[in-house]
Amino acid sequence: MTLELWNVGLVTILVLLGVGFYGLLISRNLIKMVVALQILAKGAILAMVLAAKLQGWTVIGQSMALTVIVADTIVAVIAMAMAVQIRRHCGTLDVQSLSNLRR
Amino acid sequence: MQNWLWMIGLPIVAAPIIYVVGRTFRPGDGTKAGINPAMWVALLSLLATGFFTYQAWTAYIADATLETSIGMVALRADGISFLMATAILVLGSMATLYSGPYLAADEGQEKFYALLTAMIGMMIGLSCARDLFNLWIWFEGMAIASFPLVAFYRRNPAGLEAGIKYLVQSAAGSILVLVAIALVYSETGSLAYDGIVAASGRSLPMLAAGALFIVGFGVKVAMVPLHTWLPDAHSQAPSPISAMLSGVVIEAGLIALIRSLGVLQSVSNNWGVILLGFGALNMLVGNLLALRQTQVKRLLAFSSLAHIGYILLGIGVAASSYYFDDLNTGFFAGSGSFFHILTHALMKGLAFLAAGCLLYSLYISRGSHEPLTKNDLAGAARRYPLEAFGLSVAVLALGGLPPLAGFMSKWQIFVGSFMSGNPWIIGLVIFAAFNSVLSLGYYAPLVNLMYRHEPGEVVLAGKPTPWLMILPVCLLALAVVVLGFWPSLVQPLTDVAGFSLLQLFGFVR
Repeated sequence: MTLELWNVGLVTILVLLGVGFYGLLISRNLIKMVVALQILAKGAILAMVLAAKLQGWTVIGQSMALTVIVADTIVAVIAMAMAVQIRRHCGTLDVQSLSNLRR
Repeated sequence: MQNWLWMIGLPIVAAPIIYVVGRTFRPGDGTKAGINPAMWVALLSLLATGFFTYQAWTAYIADATLETSIGMVALRADGISFLMATAILVLGSMATLYSGPYLAADEGQEKFYALLTAMIGMMIGLSCARDLFNLWIWFEGMAIASFPLVAFYRRNPAGLEAGIKYLVQSAAGSILVLVAIALVYSETGSLAYDGIVAASGRSLPMLAAGALFIVGFGVKVAMVPLHTWLPDAHSQAPSPISAMLSGVVIEAGLIALIRSLGVLQSVSNNWGVILLGFGALNMLVGNLLALRQTQVKRLLAFSSLAHIGYILLGIGVAASSYYFDDLNTGFFAGSGSFFHILTHALMKGLAFLAAGCLLYSLYISRGSHEPLTKNDLAGAARRYPLEAFGLSVAVLALGGLPPLAGFMSKWQIFVGSFMSGNPWIIGLVIFAAFNSVLSLGYYAPLVNLMYRHEPGEVVLAGKPTPWLMILPVCLLALAVVVLGFWPSLVQPLTDVAGFSLLQLFGFVR
């Protein structure tokens, strides 16, 4: 395997997605879950940019990446706002001790 | 800007205006005073959107092509868009009207109406999107608007828990969709639906993209292993939001799913078969879990799972038209599914709004956020005749009792699928019919409790329901009954939607 752009990109994307999902599955702290979601989003953004680069439409890839960054930031902000409210009204950020609703 | 775009743009433009109006409103004496005028502005904007949608519809059936691109954003209205817009606007305006008194005592109402209107605009936009990235943007916008609405009671720990669960699962799902879009783009070099269809063939990355679409959008559609957020979010959100989530938001996710799978039509013939599998699973799990619920709104949330199963059955049959002799089967079952999307929006909206009336009168108006349990319903018809009647009509229609709307749409799905003559699909229809009977096992006791029991303490201590909340319940109940007797009233809508579905999967030009 030669060290080409798309190889490096592909490995980075897979690592980012792997780390993100692993973090989402094992972390019990809400803030860490939001961080894991952001890592996942970065993997997806890199995938978009790489896909556009491979097709030779770099500009489109970058504009899509910007749009995704905006959308994901809003999600992160709302998640953080909810985490603040949860800390205030439940006294904890631990998702395990949060699950009171019946399955 | 072309005229028909107002049916998408108006709610989105109106949202900030609604926020400003709600924000500047100061109740006279400084106490908690009544309905925020933002509600009326929101309702007005939805009615105006309905007017533009009607105008676009008359142009559409007179053979106009409603297609526009603004820069890279390509939009086109087809039958599916008009069906979804109708369901969304009818249920949305009812929910808005209902929210006025329901939320009168809460803070943050201006945000509620602004987000609700924005969410409605996003959903209509989603159903008109013509390229995959555009579809993702509308989808994400809809999700973002719905997160704060689910966690609207921000001092209620259960609501917050449901909200964060919904947010995390939904966000993870939409990232999978994004990865799928990147895969499709790297394979075909196009994001527009037509371009992808022309350039795609069977390859491993495209199959992986299809799987990621199913999982990613499947979270929002609540296909069974991915459904865990749904009962919590639907039972903890304010009742009008439960009605919206259950009636149109999960269906909007379904539209996004079938649009993206339709784009991958040349990759595999078996997307419809996968949808049929998920449909069977959804019916069974939804009905079995609903049987053991004690809270009314949770029970209705699980019944949404079962109804998504019926809708998937019809759409799956339509998408598998490769295996049948003619297209009539697919057309009939597909338009049946769209009819069920419409009636389900009315029935489930009615059920949540009527249950919400009782919840409001028995608990919320006394400052409590306890859930409404089945036992609280005992004898409710004595003190709350209209609310109990609305809830009864809704649950009997959901269970598929003959003269009501739910029966007609289920019947069309079943008959359409049966026409295929394929033994597997006939088996599935029989399975669905058994499920439909099974569902009466949890719907009928609700009616029994309301009409044939003595009122309990909770009902006797309840307060009267404001008339502005009873009005939407009566209107929706009327619609459910009328559509049951005259299903042909919406046939033009469901027919073009079924035709658009076949077009989407490339069976007709």
